[in-house]
Amino acid sequence: MTPVLASVLAQAIPLGAGALILLALRRHPASAAMLAIVAVAVSCGLTLFLVSAASAPGTAIVAQRPWLPLEAGPGLIFGVLIDPLSSIMSLVVTSVTLLVMIYSLGYMAGDKGYARYFGLLSLFAAAMLGLVLASNLLQLLVFWELVGLASFLLIGFWFERPGPAAAARKAFIMTRVGDVGFLLGVLLLIRALGNVSILDLVSQAGWHGSLSPRFLTMVSALLLMGAAGKSAQGPLFTWLPDAMEGPTPVSALLHSATMVAAGVYLVARLHGFFAAAPSVMHFLLWMSLITAVAAATMAMVAEDIKRVLAYSSISQLAYMFMALAAGSVGAGFFHLITHAGFKALLFLAAGIFIHHAHSNSMREIARHGRPRGRAASFGLIAGAAALAGVIPFSGYFSKEAVLASLGPAAGSAALILAYGGAFLTAYYAARMVFLTLTHRPIASPSHGPTNETTLAEKAARTMMAIPVLLLGALTLVLGWLGASLALRFSPGVAVRGALELGAGPLLALGLAAAGILLAWLEYGRAGAARVGFVERVPALRDFFANNWYLDRLYAATFVRAAQALSRLARWNDQRVLDGAGDTVAAGTVRGGRTLSRIQNGQVQMYLAIIVTVLVAFAFWLTRAELLL
Amino acid sequence: MTAENLVFGASAAVALGGALLAVGLRNIFHNILGFALAMLGVAGVFLSLGADFLAAVFVLVYVGAVAIAMVYAVMLSHPMDEAPAKRSGAKILSAVLIAGGAAGSLWMLLGTAPWAAGHRPAMVTAAQIGARFLGDYVLAFELISVLLLVAMMGAVMVARRSGSGRGTW
Amino acid sequence: MVSAQTVLGFATALFGIGLYGLLQRRSLVAMLISLELMLAAVSINIIALTSHTGTDPVMGQVVVLILIGVAAAEAAVALSLFVAIHRSAHDIDVERLSEQQG
Repeated sequence: MTPVLASVLAQAIPLGAGALILLALRRHPASAAMLAIVAVAVSCGLTLFLVSAASAPGTAIVAQRPWLPLEAGPGLIFGVLIDPLSSIMSLVVTSVTLLVMIYSLGYMAGDKGYARYFGLLSLFAAAMLGLVLASNLLQLLVFWELVGLASFLLIGFWFERPGPAAAARKAFIMTRVGDVGFLLGVLLLIRALGNVSILDLVSQAGWHGSLSPRFLTMVSALLLMGAAGKSAQGPLFTWLPDAMEGPTPVSALLHSATMVAAGVYLVARLHGFFAAAPSVMHFLLWMSLITAVAAATMAMVAEDIKRVLAYSSISQLAYMFMALAAGSVGAGFFHLITHAGFKALLFLAAGIFIHHAHSNSMREIARHGRPRGRAASFGLIAGAAALAGVIPFSGYFSKEAVLASLGPAAGSAALILAYGGAFLTAYYAARMVFLTLTHRPIASPSHGPTNETTLAEKAARTMMAIPVLLLGALTLVLGWLGASLALRFSPGVAVRGALELGAGPLLALGLAAAGILLAWLEYGRAGAARVGFVERVPALRDFFANNWYLDRLYAATFVRAAQALSRLARWNDQRVLDGAGDTVAAGTVRGGRTLSRIQNGQVQMYLAIIVTVLVAFAFWLTRAELLL
Repeated sequence: MTAENLVFGASAAVALGGALLAVGLRNIFHNILGFALAMLGVAGVFLSLGADFLAAVFVLVYVGAVAIAMVYAVMLSHPMDEAPAKRSGAKILSAVLIAGGAAGSLWMLLGTAPWAAGHRPAMVTAAQIGARFLGDYVLAFELISVLLLVAMMGAVMVARRSGSGRGTW
Repeated sequence: MVSAQTVLGFATALFGIGLYGLLQRRSLVAMLISLELMLAAVSINIIALTSHTGTDPVMGQVVVLILIGVAAAEAAVALSLFVAIHRSAHDIDVERLSEQQG
């Protein structure tokens, strides 16, 4: 089997499965779930093959086929691009999707949209793979939008409830703001180059020196808008915390490994192109620094466990962008991979708690006590440790790589922000663990005896525990891959050994330890007040808890402006367009009434009309003849 | 001014005058008399155009038959004791406008058309017409006789007093 | 001889008068009279054009004779219809007839 065929099949099989489920298997939930899982498992195997096929640094297998030939230029082309970056990313996507699907067998059991859920997940996986393996920007954009659609459907999976429906709309619209920039950037590139092949863009072949710096800056900024929207960066992040309204496994899939990572992947994919616009990269660096710290502050005061994880996603994505902006694809992508692992783990573990307590609130979860089985607690602790950057866990290595990549390029202010963010990360990760796991039952009569658990519930628990344990094990493994990854992405660069300690790693570890210690003092130790230092300052707490009032700012500015615009449009619609329509309609009615007076059975009236028309017709015919 | 012109002018005047009487007067009997007069005038015009036989047929058919049939129909249908309804000015005006416009337009078409001129109308005898009717136009001749027969029978059937049994006609 | 234009003008005037009567008169018999006037105008045109322009004049007269036959048949049927209508509606005024709606 050739890698090209494998990559096409890897996309086509989940797509076909999703279509089949959504069209034909809506009433057969068990077979729908089985089909989806088998399809994604096959796809996962194929992507594993791709990774091995494209293991050598600098490999790039491209297969393209003209889809819509244009008169000038090569036209629109569909194809696949298989290189280390895309193959590893596709493996991450399929494996996380597979684990989430297995987990969902238990989590979503009994939901009336069970089959639809698995169909949408398959569709999402197919769209994401299409995005990852696309050989040119236009094709990438197509799948980019498909990912947006699938995520809209998944976030709004429980569309009959107002919360998820609004969250899905918000996610769709906020990412759309960025997508407009992306679309414009792609169109500008097509106009300038006639060709948006990713390889040509990255290698700067064919356009090097022919494009003005100003044009490059503009296009890069527009493309970055799309990436920032998708990855919830900078001012466009506010949709992500709300998107937690979706089912928890969906959050695990969308907000760890796939959808939000698409923006990072785009920048990593086009890194060679972005490098030609240093001012944009500089802007990206500062935007991601601020985003990382800001999202961390919001995570510090959130009471909802999923919102904590959402803010941490934003913050960690910002770290990835930071590394990319500083020029290290290897470090950014490494962090993407480890983050995909431990964030999926955190979401899935949190899902077990939520499933048990029927609440997202960490204090409420603590009150309900632990669910049976240790998997959830272990998963949460391992995930949080990775997030905080504790040494043997994957997060430590990747965050270390990110911080190291900043070293020479960034000034001291940037370094302070980055390391401060790491401290805050450790703090809120530990806070989450302590808040959730420190069991303080107020009055819990009967959560312990579980003799009446049915076989199905036990099976569901097992299904949910397996992926959590697998991912937990992965957090211990993934970290050691950093060196080989860096070799694949930037051959020739000297790679620091994973356990090589210097001033930077020591500082990071110290900060992580300090953050955890602070959290333990405030939340963990016996008799702790369980009130954070931020929460003691209500103004600050409100500021953080309300997304820095960005939503309110948007409501006061953009939303109001949009509403004014829509009112104008409505006025235009009702008065001008409908008015014209009404006038035409009323005129027709009035004209009909007038004309119906002629249609009154008066034979002489008919005669008069017949004669008039006949004479006019004869006249017209004869005149026409004379004219000829 | 030749005799033909004299005959044409007089006949045309009689025809137009009769036509005006036929449409303008309010008494239906006067209308029929005007109609007969107009037909006589038209027959005179035919004479001046060298269609003697046609003129004779016109007088026979219209003055002799159709006008008389009209008188019968009027006597059978028109309520003689009722005063005629008032005329509507708007209707007269619109009729004048439409008829005038139509006639004017027709005149613009016919009067300005370049007719081949200068042929003296040849005299056509009844023998020539008869030969044609039994030659080239024999089918039309037979059809028109069938049509007249059918129309006659149909007229009798329609006008018959329905439901009054046989033998009343 | 009389020019074709003169004859056509006369026929057009006769046609116009007939059309006026057809449009204005309310009595069905009067409308039939007007119709016959218009037909007479048509006959005059046919005769004038066939005899003045060198076309076969015999043919023109034959056509007009057929036309007279059709007009006579039409008059016979129309007049008998008027009688029948009067018998059922006791009226032959077209405006009032249409107001009765059958």
